[in-house]
Amino acid sequence: MKGVAMIVVTIREAILRGTLIFYFAVGNIIVAFVAFAIKASPDGSAVLVFGNPIPAKSLMGISPVDFLLIQLQRSSTSAIMFLGIFAVAGLIPSMLEKGTAELYLSKPLSRTSLFLSRSFGATIAIALNILYFALVIWTLFGIKLGVWHSGFLLSCLMVAIAFAFYFSVVAFTSLLTRSQGFAIMLGFVFWFLSSALETREYGIYKLWDNQVYHRILDILYYATPQISGMLENATRLIGRNPFDRMLGPQATADFTIMPFVYSLLSASAIYALAARYFSKQDY
Amino acid sequence: MTIVETQGLSKTFRAGVFKKGQIEALRDVSLSVEAGEIFGLLGPNGAGKTTFVKILLSISHPTIGVARVFGHKLGALSIRQKSGYLPENHRYPQFLTGLQTLLLFGNLHGLKGPILKGKAQSLLQRVGLKDWMNIKIKRYSKGMLQRLGMAQALLNDPELLFLDEPTDGVDPVGRKEIRDVLKGLKARGATIFLNSHLLSEVELICDRVAILNKGQVLRVGTISEITAPQLEYEIQLESAISERLSETIRSIVREAHANDRVLRVAVPDKHVLNHVLDAIRKEGILIESVVPRRASLEDYFIKVLQSGEGT
Repeated sequence: MKGVAMIVVTIREAILRGTLIFYFAVGNIIVAFVAFAIKASPDGSAVLVFGNPIPAKSLMGISPVDFLLIQLQRSSTSAIMFLGIFAVAGLIPSMLEKGTAELYLSKPLSRTSLFLSRSFGATIAIALNILYFALVIWTLFGIKLGVWHSGFLLSCLMVAIAFAFYFSVVAFTSLLTRSQGFAIMLGFVFWFLSSALETREYGIYKLWDNQVYHRILDILYYATPQISGMLENATRLIGRNPFDRMLGPQATADFTIMPFVYSLLSASAIYALAARYFSKQDY
Repeated sequence: MTIVETQGLSKTFRAGVFKKGQIEALRDVSLSVEAGEIFGLLGPNGAGKTTFVKILLSISHPTIGVARVFGHKLGALSIRQKSGYLPENHRYPQFLTGLQTLLLFGNLHGLKGPILKGKAQSLLQRVGLKDWMNIKIKRYSKGMLQRLGMAQALLNDPELLFLDEPTDGVDPVGRKEIRDVLKGLKARGATIFLNSHLLSEVELICDRVAILNKGQVLRVGTISEITAPQLEYEIQLESAISERLSETIRSIVREAHANDRVLRVAVPDKHVLNHVLDAIRKEGILIESVVPRRASLEDYFIKVLQSGEGT
């Protein structure tokens, strides 16, 4: 009950800060753009984008609907993550401000519950936006193209979960620095680090041919949420991802749950570490 | 029954870029507060009053020492369940109205539904914010925020209430209202722990006080003990005192201050006082009045701090 109250006030604060409204507005602009751009050809045999069919060469062997949904999901995911972090990164520092922290910490609620409910509130605020966005796009494709693509909904659910794991890093940084700016910056650094670690064998391994260095990168990869891997796999829930070849010649194109499992474990460890740190601090 | 008991409580903060510096906020503080009393913790800014309260509520942690509140070790949720707290310089979420603020903090106390709403409305009325309850608190004045803070601290009908500078920013009428609220709480058996540097306020409502300076407790006692009449007298004369008489009086008593027609003396007993009076009469000066002097809490406070204790 007490934790739920904290979650509710966190979501409310996110809305009233205006950043979440901006996030919601951006989502709706994308939705409006999609609604305007796509339609089925008069005979129902092709998908038209701004009145033109998608060239067969671009489809790379997948259906036009899969192609469009994959394109949409891939291009909007970065915006979802970045703007999401902007929208909610300030929620933990605002709870720790002088004069506010004392009020929350003097209530009969453990620090772990307080921190976790604040973090869950932030992730739920973003997850609700993502799921709203997914439902509207899904409905649009269903009504306009006659394709009710359940894989897309599942994929968006996975993106929302990926955000929750990604937020663990931002939440911990917020606790350590009590600064929204630092939390956002580290969130961005981690985003690029995650991408580099995902493709380390074809990229940053080659910077230094040293086994210790490679093992350090491996440890970092497994010890932190595998954001890039999760998002790649979320895309594969829509259909065969024509961009998988960018991951390298040996990359698999099949969906695997493992990045989610590893990320669940590492995000849980980060949240636990953060809660432990929070419980020891003086305010 | 002892509600708050501390033994050898100390708190050292690390400061500086590499946390190499040390600030001793509390040094070996041992205090006890009994059930039903209004206890005042006095001290200048930076004396460690707020740190002490924060430790009791587990907002900060002691470096060494032991404390028990309601007989529980620090950190027990039941302490916070039965306590109310009005922090100094509190900041509420600006987007909430007064009523919503109380509903939020009531929820965090485990209160809910119509009971909470009724309680919140009644408290807002009690602190004079009834007409403002549906207005966002970003529009509230400092005094109104202080009243809201008071209502927030009372939401759970606390058995122990911690108030950190409760009358800060409140007008004289508001101060009187807060004092009345505190007296009402005391009458129903609540224990009140008051941090303040406004000595006149403390003098009006506290049963016992402790003086804290630079993290150390210098004195503990009831207001009447502290401000009890001492053998200090103010002697009003008909004419100004001469230099020669001044010297004569200083040869009789160590503490004597003459200012035009007023002489203040501190004497070991009444015989010595009469020697002083005899010396004045011998000079042919008429005595208008001899009044025993009762020290105010402020006098005592300043005297204790100026004595350099706690340094």
